[in-house]
Amino acid sequence: MNTQVEDPAQEVKRLQRCISDLVGLLALPAVWSGNEPSRIVQILLDALLRMLNLDFIWARLRDPVDAGLLEILRVSDSCRLRITTQDISEALNTRLVGDGQESLPIRHRFGGEDISIFPVLLGVHGESGMIVVGCGRLDFPGQTDSLLLTVAANQASIGLQEARLLAEQKRITYELDRRVAERTAELAAANEELRKEIAERKLTEERLRHGEQELKRSEVHKAAILDSSPDCVVAIDHEGRITEFNPAAEQTFGHRRSEVLGKPLADVIIPPSLLEKHRTGFARYLASGDSRVLGRRLEMTALCIDGREIPVELTITRIPQEGPPAFTGHLRDITERKKSEDALRAAHAQVLRSEERWRSVFENSAVGVALTDLDGRFIATNLVYQRMLGYTEDELQQLTFLDITHEESVEDSRTLIGELLDGHRQQFQIEKQYRRKDGQPVWVRNNVSVVPGTERVPRFLMAISEDVTQGKLSEEALARARSELAKVARITSLGVLTASIAHEINQPLSGIITNASTCLRMLSADPPNIDGALETVRRTIRDGNRASDVITRLRTLYSKKELSPEWMDLNEAAREVTALSLSELQRSNVLLRYQFAEDLPPLVADRIQLQQVILNLVRNAVDAMSAIGDRPRELLIRTDCDAENQVQLSVKDTGMGLSPQAAEKIFEAFYTTKTDGMGIGLSISRSIIEAHQGRLWAIANDGPGSTFLFAIPCVPEGFADTETPANPTVRRIDS
Amino acid sequence: MSHCFVMESPKRRDGNERPLLSVVDDDESIRESLPDLLREFGFASRVFSSAEEFLTSDCLVETSCLILDIAMPGMSGPELHQELKRRGHEIPVVFITGQRDESLRVRLGKQGAAGFLLKPFSDAALLAAIKTAMEPS
Repeated sequence: MNTQVEDPAQEVKRLQRCISDLVGLLALPAVWSGNEPSRIVQILLDALLRMLNLDFIWARLRDPVDAGLLEILRVSDSCRLRITTQDISEALNTRLVGDGQESLPIRHRFGGEDISIFPVLLGVHGESGMIVVGCGRLDFPGQTDSLLLTVAANQASIGLQEARLLAEQKRITYELDRRVAERTAELAAANEELRKEIAERKLTEERLRHGEQELKRSEVHKAAILDSSPDCVVAIDHEGRITEFNPAAEQTFGHRRSEVLGKPLADVIIPPSLLEKHRTGFARYLASGDSRVLGRRLEMTALCIDGREIPVELTITRIPQEGPPAFTGHLRDITERKKSEDALRAAHAQVLRSEERWRSVFENSAVGVALTDLDGRFIATNLVYQRMLGYTEDELQQLTFLDITHEESVEDSRTLIGELLDGHRQQFQIEKQYRRKDGQPVWVRNNVSVVPGTERVPRFLMAISEDVTQGKLSEEALARARSELAKVARITSLGVLTASIAHEINQPLSGIITNASTCLRMLSADPPNIDGALETVRRTIRDGNRASDVITRLRTLYSKKELSPEWMDLNEAAREVTALSLSELQRSNVLLRYQFAEDLPPLVADRIQLQQVILNLVRNAVDAMSAIGDRPRELLIRTDCDAENQVQLSVKDTGMGLSPQAAEKIFEAFYTTKTDGMGIGLSISRSIIEAHQGRLWAIANDGPGSTFLFAIPCVPEGFADTETPANPTVRRIDS
Repeated sequence: MSHCFVMESPKRRDGNERPLLSVVDDDESIRESLPDLLREFGFASRVFSSAEEFLTSDCLVETSCLILDIAMPGMSGPELHQELKRRGHEIPVVFITGQRDESLRVRLGKQGAAGFLLKPFSDAALLAAIKTAMEPS
């Protein structure tokens, strides 16, 4: 070791540092104590890298604990080279292979830089591994470097040895703990087993004790059940001797328990007629286990102490116990039940008979009977009904009554059924048309009612239907005959009318002919009577006009019109028509007054025709007053509404009045009190009013004059659908 | 109430009295036209508008022939005829009517009517009927 002393101060500093590093190395075990081998090596490598200013340091060793290979490379932060373990291994291989110069450093070129690498063996012969250090310094390793490396290697060996020992110690400790734990678990399991065994034993004891109690309790229960059972309980042993006979049995059969215990059952309650059966059955069971009675509910008779035989319900069971067989019998006196069963059977028969009777009434009824549900679906129909409509029972059951109702009657039927179901009516009658299966209409008179439901049967509808087609046809024939008659009457009255017209026309015609004849005679006289002739000609002209007027008036009055009813206000109509006559009234010095009811309801009527009536009455009144000179000529037109919803109009005059006989006669055609009347105005007026279902009449006033009145319903029957003017009710007035 | 219009003096110009004919009809045309014609025939005449009017007049005795309408308000022509007979006035009656009613004609004939004319009638028919009625039977 030739050491060159250059500068004593530097030397001192170097030595001081070396000593400090040595101390540091010696202190390392305190740092790594208790750590893993890999951690120990890391701490050592880091310390050396720092102390020796190394470029890298590499350790390769066998883990003393798990015998695995540890390889750790630390490179200095200041080293710019990329050094791998591969490079280091190659560098070492150039030298290490058996040349015996292990203590010398190797100069090796790493990436263009010469680095001295120096391996340090761990353990005496490197058996623990080795540390390879690398440093670019030329003097590496110097004396202090070698010293420090050697110490470090020793420290590492010691540390690794310690670590190995520690690991071994740990392993042993672990093993010990494991074994202790194993043993402890075994002991605990054994302990648990023991505890279970003890608990089991306790439970068994408990159960035993409980079983005894249960047995006792069961005995008590059994006794209680036996005592309180409403059923007779009789138990027998294998010889047929009675072993139990409960209070119910005592009561039913009259025997005392104490007297029958031990006696053969056959001597106690088996009636003589069943003795043989009992004996053979019992013997057979004992011999073969074959039983026809066990576990089944039987009905038979039993014998009472007083010799009565009573019906009983019996169930025999074998008592489930060891040893020879024993049996219990549960018997119930069913005398009462038998009685009520008989009564029930009788009642049922009664119901059947009743049902049969009603069915017979239903089937054989002379009128049709149909039952439907509330939707009208047929439930049942009788033969008459089926024949009436040409359907079978089954076909009808697929239909509702509306399905077979003629379309003209559907609406009425629906409405009435609705009212029935709403409870507005109990039943209703309707004459309606059905359509038979063959399409023919059939008229029936139906009496329909709701049959209230019962617990079992919901409420349903019943229709009793009578075929009235024949009657209807005759009615129609009658109506036709009536209409024929009316036509004849019309023609007849037309004849009368013609006569009347002739009468009315003949009056002025007579005048004309007479005047003309006279005129001729006057002009033919010598000298001719010119003045007289002129006068006759004047009268001829006037009579001609009069005839013409008659025809005009007739045409107006007798023009036949159809009724065109409409909603109208009678006050307004009366005011309107009298306004037309005002000038005539003034000319005749008649004072017209109105007394119109303000609350007069509107009415459905032919406005024009009513106005004709009013006009006619007004003209009559004016005429009736024409001869009156000693009192005011007053005309009062008044309207009223009465309680029956009829409106009334009256025309009151102060004219010459009516005699009671005349009061009715005046309405006849051609009756007239007027010198220029035809006697048909009032008769036509009456026809008009009657066509409105009202009446026209006349009364004598308290004072002078008379009053003509008519009253008509606001809405005459058949006029109700008048709101649609397109479909007015059409009616002819027949004079 | 009766006003019996004397249409013409019953005295003839030659001094002989003309027979008086009475006309009862509710129709004004008849009442106006007949008297002129009857005068042309050479009769005196008086007209009445109703049966009642005639009955209350003073002409019942003088009337040689009654021309009587059938249908009138109040008392009808046939009723007046019966009433006159009841009172004992045998005045010949010629009925005039606008209504063609054969049964009535027969009935009136049985009742003693002297004539029956349907309106309108000709002057000749009237004259013939009057003459027939006034002939002593």
